[in-house]
Amino acid sequence: MSALAARFEATTLATPAAISELTDRVMAFLDAQGVDARAAHHTALVLDEILTNLGTHGACASGAAIVAVVVEPERVTGQIVDDGPPFDSRQAAVPALDLAPADRPIGGLGLYLVRKLSTTLEYARRNDQNCTTFSISRNNTLSAETRIDGNS
Amino acid sequence: MEIHDERIGDTCVVTAKGRLDSGASAAFAEKVGGLIASPSPKLLIDFAGVDFVTSAGLRAVLVLVKKVKAAGGSFALCSVQEPVREVLDITGLTAMFSIHSARAEAIAALAG
Repeated sequence: MSALAARFEATTLATPAAISELTDRVMAFLDAQGVDARAAHHTALVLDEILTNLGTHGACASGAAIVAVVVEPERVTGQIVDDGPPFDSRQAAVPALDLAPADRPIGGLGLYLVRKLSTTLEYARRNDQNCTTFSISRNNTLSAETRIDGNS
Repeated sequence: MEIHDERIGDTCVVTAKGRLDSGASAAFAEKVGGLIASPSPKLLIDFAGVDFVTSAGLRAVLVLVKKVKAAGGSFALCSVQEPVREVLDITGLTAMFSIHSARAEAIAALAG
């Protein structure tokens, strides 16, 4: 990350209201930095999905997560650090996308979107904390195949 | 999220504005679901003012589509903003929904 890159940082609870408030602030920050609507939307969406999963399945709605967003010329990078149980969003099951609406399961889309929208997606477990880092390309083309990097 | 509904012919047209996320999706599904209690409902959701949709929002829409289909009705979306359209594409919902660029086109398709 460049030393000159614009940075947003906040702590948030993983509750629907707190997540809405956070992603609203992130989108306003990205808009102020001149980030295109697509990258701003997808950055906020990835943050929302990871935090929602944390609050829903990580039993961490009452614990604060630290969120950082950095704007660079070619990409927006986001990072979420939380105290939840170990969870690597890259390992989530792929939902059945080819079923008719009547047959399609309601769940499973959130972490799939995280994987598909992120240009890079990394995970590390450090000091009993989850550290999930992602980037979103600032160009206006559809995402390339997600690159899933190993990380220790 | 702001939700406005009107009836155009036999189609219930819902205009949504704002963010369709986990904080808004339950109220959205409940409000719109209450508008389609009739047999064979025709439901159009105008997404022109919706600038942020999460998987919770998509689930709400999917619940409504299932409800409409179960009642023998038809469903369409219109005026979807590009980032939201990309999310629909990625999740395979574009192929399942009738999506139109403009409201008039969608109403005509539902009437047909």
